[in-house]
Amino acid sequence: MPQLRKDPVTKRWVIILHEQAKSPADFQIPQTPRQSNKCPFCPGHEDMAPPEVMSYRAPDTLPNQPGWEVRVIPNKFPALQIEGDLDRTGIGVYDMMNGVGAHEVIIESPDHEAGFHNYSVEQIYRILRTYTDRYRDLRRDRRFRYILIFKNNGSAAGASLDHPHSQLIATPIIPKRAMEEVEGAKRYYYYKERCVFCDIIRQELSSGERIIHENEQFVAFAPFASRFPFETWIAPKDHKDSFGDIDNSEIEGLAGIMQATLQKLIKTLHNPPFNYVIHTSPCDEHCSDYFHWHIEIMPRLTKVAGFEWGSGFYINPVAPERAARFLINQE
Amino acid sequence: MPQLRKDPVLKQWVIISPERGKRPSDFKRSEVTPDDPHKCPFCEGNEAKTPPETLSFRTSGTLANHKGWWVRVIPDSSPILKPDGDSDREGIGMFDAMNSIGVHEMVIESPNHTTTIQSASIEQVREVIWAYKQRLLEIKKNPRYKHFMIVKNSGEGVSSFTHSHSHIVATPIIPKRIEEELEGAREYYHYHDRCLFCDIIKQETKEQSRLVFENDNFIVYCPFASRFPFEMEITPRFHQSFFEMLENNQVHSFASALQTALRKLEALLPGQPYNFVLHTSPCSDSYRDFYHWHVELIPKLTKIAGFEWGSGFYINPTPPEDAARMLREAKV
Repeated sequence: MPQLRKDPVTKRWVIILHEQAKSPADFQIPQTPRQSNKCPFCPGHEDMAPPEVMSYRAPDTLPNQPGWEVRVIPNKFPALQIEGDLDRTGIGVYDMMNGVGAHEVIIESPDHEAGFHNYSVEQIYRILRTYTDRYRDLRRDRRFRYILIFKNNGSAAGASLDHPHSQLIATPIIPKRAMEEVEGAKRYYYYKERCVFCDIIRQELSSGERIIHENEQFVAFAPFASRFPFETWIAPKDHKDSFGDIDNSEIEGLAGIMQATLQKLIKTLHNPPFNYVIHTSPCDEHCSDYFHWHIEIMPRLTKVAGFEWGSGFYINPVAPERAARFLINQE
Repeated sequence: MPQLRKDPVLKQWVIISPERGKRPSDFKRSEVTPDDPHKCPFCEGNEAKTPPETLSFRTSGTLANHKGWWVRVIPDSSPILKPDGDSDREGIGMFDAMNSIGVHEMVIESPNHTTTIQSASIEQVREVIWAYKQRLLEIKKNPRYKHFMIVKNSGEGVSSFTHSHSHIVATPIIPKRIEEELEGAREYYHYHDRCLFCDIIKQETKEQSRLVFENDNFIVYCPFASRFPFEMEITPRFHQSFFEMLENNQVHSFASALQTALRKLEALLPGQPYNFVLHTSPCSDSYRDFYHWHVELIPKLTKIAGFEWGSGFYINPTPPEDAARMLREAKV
């Protein structure tokens, strides 16, 4: 069983894996990408992966058979396990609990070579629908306090398989970064009785200098204090705290802006490794007044060195206004 | 002038460095700089290739910025923070920004191109620590700086120079990570009237399972909630909030703890890039009771994926008890 441990100083939770424990030798094997004919995510290889949780597939096709367009499976090497109780315990100054949670893989396309460089809006819509379906299903489980949906694209961004996929992790704790955002937003709300994200969006739209793209419902911009070069956020213009509550017309708008924004990034930066993470409100917190869901996209262009690790203080060599200019001019 | 900008939600400061202003094409796969000691600005004899030194330990009778030194400190030639000018704090609508004033220096740890902390004599490591201490005490005289950090990025892909060196960075703000530690430690102190770090040290010394090395004044252990495989922490056993208050005899035990930790890492993971960061109290006496300086040592083994970035929630595939056992048993 994986274990969740809390750092007593910073209050950060960490997942410690016991079953797949790695020794020094494991870190020295160079990772070779798997060949397409052995890819467990390709159609026809459904039996190489755990049975699916759900799929969008052609009528008359069977689960765990070809014919799907988006497919969700449990992660074969999960960081958290779905069965069991939390068993919270303390040892002296330390706190820990069992690593209970869900860890799923969303296979975004049957095509091994596909990706955001060539997805149709319809395919992105299906992927996003799948995210919301899984989100709504998992948030009913009272053990889970946060649902994290993210994508690692390219091995430098942490992807271990080439086939396009994203991941979902449901956790029994609120991850540190999410907690900080919720607290920061709460503080601002107490002071001004306005949502900090709504204020940011208003200011960005009126100044315009960091806007990358917008449509009726969404805006993509380079944040004022971007930690990474070409960091990009996509946020809904209307206030809503949970990604799980978006409706189909919003999913359509989101699919459109994700296609436009990611294609700009991919073209401008020549297919960079990147991550995106959906930031949403914790499952059972009442933060609908002051939290505002959004997506953070981080191209992985610079190596984060000791200074950043040790201080949480980032050095960004590209001013976000400049990054926005490069991106807005990209077709 | 580089700019400091504050994230309005997270209150995290970021350095925006337009002078390093990179274009999209600048990020094409990294080029490896050839390792030619004749061209290395940090090697003895090449002193003219660096900015003038701010400190050096050298043989008596030799001149500053010439041969004859064994540890040398210089301003970084492309600093992320600059010592001149005003901070010019300003608000831009809801956003906050200021000029990025500060100090950024490099400590050249040896005149020899291939000597490392692991391979150096213990006396040499001690001299490097003396240099840290002396520069910190000097820079601290300027009340504009709120916090100091000593950072080392070692190895391929982590550092731009192969010649062994570390950085001293003084900032006009308290970095977020330190702010978090101060908050956690303060809260614990208010509740228990004890230093949290002292309690951790006591528990680690007693439990032994995560202990890597100890001497009279220092312990090295793998933290209970290690974020990374083989992560280590080096801490004085006695309560001390400011690193720069380290005394003579303690400098020697710190040198030995640091060198042993790095040698053990080298024995298990030869040539592994690593970072270490020294966290010390901000320049104010108000943290004296509950803050406890320490070094975080992180081997760069795992790729940090989107999950970790987005959530601040790490997955560590090597339990710290296993890591500590292997490190303890590693012969150095």
